Amino acid sequence: MNNLLSVENLTFENCHGKRWQKKGTKFTLGPVNFSIQAGETLAIVGANGSGKSLLAKLLVGLEQPDSGSIYLNEKKLEQYDNKHRVLNIRMVFQNSNESLNPGITLGSILEEPLKLNTNLGAQARVAKVEQTLRQVGLLSEHRFFYRHMLSDGQRQRVALARAIILNPQVIVADEPFAALDPSVRSQTVNLLLELQRELGLGFIFISHNLGIVRHISDKMLVMKQGKVVESGKTEVIFHWPKDDYTKKLVHAHQALIDGQG
Amino acid sequence: MSLLDIKNLTLEIDSQSGWIKALDKINLVINEGQIHALVGESGSGKSIIVKAIVGAISDRWRITADRMTWRGQDLLKMSVRERRKIIRSDISVIFQNPKSSLDPIVTLGDQLKEVILATRLEKGMFWNRAKARKKYASELLHRVGIKDHEVYMRSLPHQIPNDVCQKFMIAMALASQPKLVIADDPTRGMEITDKSQILKLLSRVNKVRKLSILFVSHDLLAISSMADHMTVLYCGQTVESGRMSQLRKRALHPYTKALLESAPSFRTDLAPKSPLSSLGGTIPSFQHLPIGCRLGPRCPRARRECVKVPEVRRIHEHTYSCHFPLHRDQK
Repeated sequence: MNNLLSVENLTFENCHGKRWQKKGTKFTLGPVNFSIQAGETLAIVGANGSGKSLLAKLLVGLEQPDSGSIYLNEKKLEQYDNKHRVLNIRMVFQNSNESLNPGITLGSILEEPLKLNTNLGAQARVAKVEQTLRQVGLLSEHRFFYRHMLSDGQRQRVALARAIILNPQVIVADEPFAALDPSVRSQTVNLLLELQRELGLGFIFISHNLGIVRHISDKMLVMKQGKVVESGKTEVIFHWPKDDYTKKLVHAHQALIDGQG
Repeated sequence: MSLLDIKNLTLEIDSQSGWIKALDKINLVINEGQIHALVGESGSGKSIIVKAIVGAISDRWRITADRMTWRGQDLLKMSVRERRKIIRSDISVIFQNPKSSLDPIVTLGDQLKEVILATRLEKGMFWNRAKARKKYASELLHRVGIKDHEVYMRSLPHQIPNDVCQKFMIAMALASQPKLVIADDPTRGMEITDKSQILKLLSRVNKVRKLSILFVSHDLLAISSMADHMTVLYCGQTVESGRMSQLRKRALHPYTKALLESAPSFRTDLAPKSPLSSLGGTIPSFQHLPIGCRLGPRCPRARRECVKVPEVRRIHEHTYSCHFPLHRDQK
């Protein structure tokens, strides 16, 4: 079966505070290798500052990697070929509240990627926006709304709508469930699972919540200080963790579940 | 005797459309040596309860209660000065988000030393006091599990990791040797190893020092691993309250059940990628509160009677307020 997205030996180096004569602290990411197929979910787990968000940014092209390559449908993504990339890999940002523009309506927020990347006319764009809003469980009237009129869960839906409006093949999400309340969170999880089933999306997400990681992901990538310490099937990692860091994570999670009442 | 006893606490906020009840008849009893969890989604008024207990609320809000006592003394009737004295010595709060509640321009060591009461230190001449204070501070830090206290005491909040900041907050809360610690979402946004460390620390302090903890959070996994008792809030109303084990085994209120089911970790029988059960809709804002039982519009079991506020009913220690609790069906 063809791989939808695969990454080979991706590395990135970042120097902080490097000035004249003064050596800055260096952060190296990678090498990272993984591949996912259509309809699969990959979870990235790791401590704060382990380069998870950076990896997500590299995938969507917000940062340029130093070496290594990303293949979409077995074809290599050129470094500056953003036109092709944005149509197929879309990102959901960490804080859906702050990543929506407060000054314009949701309709215009959702229309923007269509204006920039497609040749649709004004009416077709509106139709597409309404259709996408309904797809994520909102009403088509919501396109006249502003950000502050929505609740947290609805904002998360809009962020998702913005990601799927260009019919991408892969969605990259940076902690999509972190700021949500339990009941809204399970709504969002359900929505994602449903969209994935319908559209056959590849889904890559970063999360701290191992319960959810275990529930929705097929594969998993554990990162520590920029290195991938373990990767593989989620169930396998949860049952037989190999690396010390992964063991610590899984045991901590298990202890919390077992420690109850 | 119970430490903190709150009955029918109501807090009203003035708005354009009249007085809104932000808290509606909250009941809460905390006994000595108990870990009590307060669960609710954001906007359910958890943090307002915390603020109401320590008296950090605006003068313009109206607060009434049948009973709000700290070891038999009425907190609402006493003067501000007396109340502050009690709170200074007996109650301490670990606030949400340690980095923003610490002073950004004062070193952590100085902040910690500031909260240590002079009466807790060994008696000595004035030239010994600074030293004694420092010693006490470093002992506190060792107790919460910070090893390089010299380094961290010299640094500013932005220079150190989040979980160490949280440990500093806990150390500051324990500095006055309180009877009750209120932890307002202490593990928010932490990764799981840090989280379990903080939780272990809190439950150890609870066992060793007989300290009561009011644990405010919406992270059910964290709560169920340490709390003995739990109170569930929804939109400023207490929905259900009782022993943790009992609630987990048999929740009577539909909201508690939905909350417990929304965490996939609790359910081992759940197939991967199957949809999670959840309530439709979202928590209403304070301007648009429904009348009667506030869960009404989202409740799968709502009927016509739900426009009246349900009375609190009790089965042994387990209290709930619902017209159609879940155990009625089984009969």
